Amino acid sequence: MIPAQFDYVAPVTLDEALSLLAEHQDEAKILAGGHSLIPAMKLRFAQPALLVDIGRLKDLAYIREEGGQVRVGAMTTHYQLESSARLREICPLLPECAAAIGDVQVRNKGTIGGSLAHSDPAADWPAAILALDAEMIVVSAVGERAIPASDFFVDMLTTALAPNEILREIRVPLPPPRTGHAYAKLPHPASGFAVVGVAASVTRGADGTCESASVGVTGVSVKAYRARGVELALKGGALGQQEIAGAATHAADGVDLNEDLAASADYRRHLAEVYARRAIERAASRVS
Amino acid sequence: MAQKYVGQRVKRTEDPRLIKGLGHYVDDIRLPDTLHVSFLRSMYAHARISGVDVSEALKAPGVVAVYTGRDAAEKIGPVPCAAALPDLKVPDHRVLATDRVYFVGHPIAAVVATDRYAARDAVDLITVDYEELPVVVDAEAAALEGSPVIHEHFGDNIAYRLTAGEGDIEAALASADRRLKQRIINQRLAPVAMEPRGVLARYLPGEEELTVWSSTQIPHLLRTQLALMIGMPENKLRVITPEVGGGFGSKLNVYAEEALLGWIAMQLGRPVKWIETRRENMQATIHGRGQVGEIKIGCREDGTLTGLRYNVVADLGAYHQLLTPAIPTLTGLMLSGCYKIPAIQINVTGVFTNKVATDAYRGAGRPEATYVVERALDLVAAELGLDVVEVRRRNFPKPDEFPFKTATGLFYDTGDYEAALDKALANSDYTKLREEQKRAREEGRLVGIGVSTYVEICALGPSQAMPAGGWESATVRIEPTGKVTILTGASPHGQGQETSFAQIAADELGVRIGDVTVIHGDTAIVQYGIGTFGSRATAVGGTAVYIAIERLKEKAHKIAAHILGADASSLAFSEGRYSLTGAQVAAGAEVPEPVVPVAQAPAAALPEPQTEGKRSLTLQDIALAAHLAKELPPDMEPGLSATYFFEPKNFTFPFGTHIAVVEIERDTGEIKFQRYVAVDDCGRVINPMLVDGQIHGGIVQALGQALYEEVVYDEQGQLVTGTLMDYAVPRAKMIPWLELDRTETPTPVNPLGVKGVGEAGTIGATPAIVAAVVDALAPFGVRHLDMPIKPETVWRIVSQQTSGGGR
Amino acid sequence: MKIEGTHELRAARERVWQSLVDPSVLQRCIPGCERLEQTGENSYSTILRAGVGSIKGVFQGNVRLEDLRPPAHYRLVVDGKGQPGFLKGAGELELEEMGEGLTVIKYAGDVQVGGTIASVGQRMIQGAAKMMASQFFTALEAEAQTQAGEPPPQHGFFRTALRWLSGLLRRIMRGSK
Repeated sequence: MIPAQFDYVAPVTLDEALSLLAEHQDEAKILAGGHSLIPAMKLRFAQPALLVDIGRLKDLAYIREEGGQVRVGAMTTHYQLESSARLREICPLLPECAAAIGDVQVRNKGTIGGSLAHSDPAADWPAAILALDAEMIVVSAVGERAIPASDFFVDMLTTALAPNEILREIRVPLPPPRTGHAYAKLPHPASGFAVVGVAASVTRGADGTCESASVGVTGVSVKAYRARGVELALKGGALGQQEIAGAATHAADGVDLNEDLAASADYRRHLAEVYARRAIERAASRVS
Repeated sequence: MAQKYVGQRVKRTEDPRLIKGLGHYVDDIRLPDTLHVSFLRSMYAHARISGVDVSEALKAPGVVAVYTGRDAAEKIGPVPCAAALPDLKVPDHRVLATDRVYFVGHPIAAVVATDRYAARDAVDLITVDYEELPVVVDAEAAALEGSPVIHEHFGDNIAYRLTAGEGDIEAALASADRRLKQRIINQRLAPVAMEPRGVLARYLPGEEELTVWSSTQIPHLLRTQLALMIGMPENKLRVITPEVGGGFGSKLNVYAEEALLGWIAMQLGRPVKWIETRRENMQATIHGRGQVGEIKIGCREDGTLTGLRYNVVADLGAYHQLLTPAIPTLTGLMLSGCYKIPAIQINVTGVFTNKVATDAYRGAGRPEATYVVERALDLVAAELGLDVVEVRRRNFPKPDEFPFKTATGLFYDTGDYEAALDKALANSDYTKLREEQKRAREEGRLVGIGVSTYVEICALGPSQAMPAGGWESATVRIEPTGKVTILTGASPHGQGQETSFAQIAADELGVRIGDVTVIHGDTAIVQYGIGTFGSRATAVGGTAVYIAIERLKEKAHKIAAHILGADASSLAFSEGRYSLTGAQVAAGAEVPEPVVPVAQAPAAALPEPQTEGKRSLTLQDIALAAHLAKELPPDMEPGLSATYFFEPKNFTFPFGTHIAVVEIERDTGEIKFQRYVAVDDCGRVINPMLVDGQIHGGIVQALGQALYEEVVYDEQGQLVTGTLMDYAVPRAKMIPWLELDRTETPTPVNPLGVKGVGEAGTIGATPAIVAAVVDALAPFGVRHLDMPIKPETVWRIVSQQTSGGGR
Repeated sequence: MKIEGTHELRAARERVWQSLVDPSVLQRCIPGCERLEQTGENSYSTILRAGVGSIKGVFQGNVRLEDLRPPAHYRLVVDGKGQPGFLKGAGELELEEMGEGLTVIKYAGDVQVGGTIASVGQRMIQGAAKMMASQFFTALEAEAQTQAGEPPPQHGFFRTALRWLSGLLRRIMRGSK
């Protein structure tokens, strides 16, 4: 529970942080809220030679509406997202997901960018970010690029971020009219991470049927994923209890299921279905 | 005496400093030149060590010394076990492993460096040659012939076998109308005190004094044991227990690290500190419970029990800590529960396994017993189709049967089990709950009601029954300025006795509670004491305070009579004042001020007592007179202080009823509380708020055992639940609203009538919660489930049987 | 802990086998393998920098190939020890030819971990093991194909790198900052 030695820098500009990364590459690690990295360092699982603390980059903490998108700065804390009244109106999945993370202390310190960049297989944000079809804006000393959420999560604890890149912003397209959101989660009794977490965004057509649905699932496999089978089954159909339940049976199709003390693979598959049903039902019921 | 404070919800005087972060735990004590210790611990559960190479570690920056088993084992005596059982096998437990390691977390080497980071870094530079040995993990398998043997010279893994109980169990079972049996498991639990262990040791070579600051529940017992282990005079050793952030029994122990740190401080002549990390805490601080057994129950058709047998294998771990083998014997003692069972037998097989030792964890053997008995009563009810409440009622002893003798050899002091049960039934509206449950079942909902009626054994205890004395001590002084000082041999670590003892003293002495200070946990200041465990501090330690006060007042009475020139019998004590009988003290209702307000205190001399022409004297007047010693009766010892060592004649037996109501989500097996009602009887209550707090904490830990907590070792003896990310301690949001109430049946065992309450919640609640879940699943034919009852287990029952065609 | 899986390699079985018994190929394919030195017939000492994402540890250990039945089967025995703990494993690899230029490797083994990784990594060990197996076979496939004189396939790392490059190029074209 005592980390190995490391150097520590707290740059005040993003450029400074990026040039440190460019210089030190793999040896450096970005410190955001510290709620994933510090525990790993205390166990000596992570032993970065240089810690680049971007906590002073205050201009990376924001929630803005711009260009038909909600733009969230990577250093925005879970609590800032949870407590945003505006987000509750225009993109309620973000605050709902934020509120489901860990506990008050974690939400006060932890950041959306840190969580996404760490990409814990049971973290909450990836489910929501996938369901919202968000885009990650990442920067390095040589420039900036956008990564769609569906390409961002590569494998367990592995994202598409290169060692010299920083996740700067998350861009979420504003949901179309008649869209409902929900996040349903069974927390692990010890860690608070998702045993299963399902984020759903459901858009109804004028006739009330499902125009489109996107469903992100976390905790179930080595990385969060879009439950395409569920989405396909919902699309164009009615959003009755039966239809939703039928679609939800595809929640864990085609993925390798995690197995641990909290849930066997069987049970996890079942939970994925139940929580998908719950999330979709709730999302559908929220369409005014 | 006027009850101004006792019985009131007085706020804890400890809290302001703790809430403000101004308290001092071991790690808050900073001594100049302190060195820091980090341990290399075994990553194997069982291995031979063929070599430990510390040369690289010694070269690391900041490293001052590295000690291995070879360096220390010869110099420091074995870690003690105080449990005396016939034919007990006691392994030689050295402070560091020598040629073998026996569990994951077994300390192998200690690195001493200028800071804890350097010490920790150097641990990684030590290389150990391990030769892995076969691992013994499963306790039942450990007892079997053919199992690998942990301590080879013992020939097998059986540390002891013990049979206890009275009555002809064979006949009782044979003659019963029905005989039931059930496998019962009390899983291993981690105590998880919020503050892990910590030790700071300083040796003064000139004075030849060793001071050990340790986060312990037993400062004096620790001092004695450390003196023996290190081989130094006990009167040169001082143990100080600063704030302790919880113990739950895990600090009722003498640990290798405590002795080793003391010894290292003597070797190096500099203070050394070790603060346990949470990972070490999970690996190397004792665990609790760890019993796997089978019960056999005999009963008549009317539900009354004829006999109970419990065959149990106790998972002791690789070594004995202070009380390891004794814990299952407490289980045996309490197997009668609050019932009349004519014949009881326990057969314990204590086995060594490649795990850290089990020892006392809140309840220490009694939760295991209560769980066994309460499950037994529920099984009888299910077998006979009787209500669980009715079965209990039929087996209760009646209030006029006390003191009640059990077939385990105990005499229960007082009890009115039906009164507590009836109150809990009324508070929960039990009849209505059952009706609602019936309706819910008709709707396909799974609602369960669990009832547990428990009795526990507290106020440990008569010295005859205790390994190291069962009394407790107190000194009460009134200082020259009128302030009251209490020195207690108990060692409160969260229970709040700084407050409750002050309440007792303030009432008995007629002073303000703010004028009383309670000092504990420093062997150089406080007379020898036994410590805080076994729900004893108030019942035994509080009684010592009470009687010391009575002694002090006897003396004060004599001094008052002498000064006032009256016969002692013409003086009466009231409101902090001795008055001539008939004299009306105008401001009698007011609590007297201390005699010397601090701001006016003269630098050099105390004021003369103002006794001229008085018809009454305050205790403060008398204290000053006693101190100045100019006006004392002939041959009277100066000063106003009294010390008392209270030896209880019996244990006390608190009891109560807990009722849990749960609903299960069919979909997922998740368990949700609907109600939690408890009625506890801990005898007379000094501070209802402290009692509630103890019950709250106890229920929460019981809920942990029932639904969440389990120390898991894999088949290689690796600790799988090694952090709080994996080991599920209940969080606030998992706790239902606790509807608490009380009955008060005072004990005759001590003059306060106090029974003890520290462990009641863990003892009473576990069976109630398990019973509620089992009851919810009764429509599926479920009669018992093992703890922790996880949603997946419940889901499997519901889904398999639902899809299997019927429910 | 049991791990098992199947991996399809677009390479001929003979080539895959050759790669699987070639220490220099193994060193390149085992994720994080920094050294693989022969210590005897079919046995090697190794240094592994193994892990996933930012979670990494260095292990020193041994690799042994047993029960070689070319080109269809061998048994791989690995043990390693390091600061985060130890790991021990043994697994059977079965190579099956599934038509022209297509080999299926079935692997099934038992892995034991100890120390810190065992007590804190519980929920991730299986996933991490599978991920590393997958990385190994992906790299192996590339090696087997390279030997056949074909261009290197675009497996995980290359894809990531390409994506990054194309993003960079787009950005440069746009001429933004």
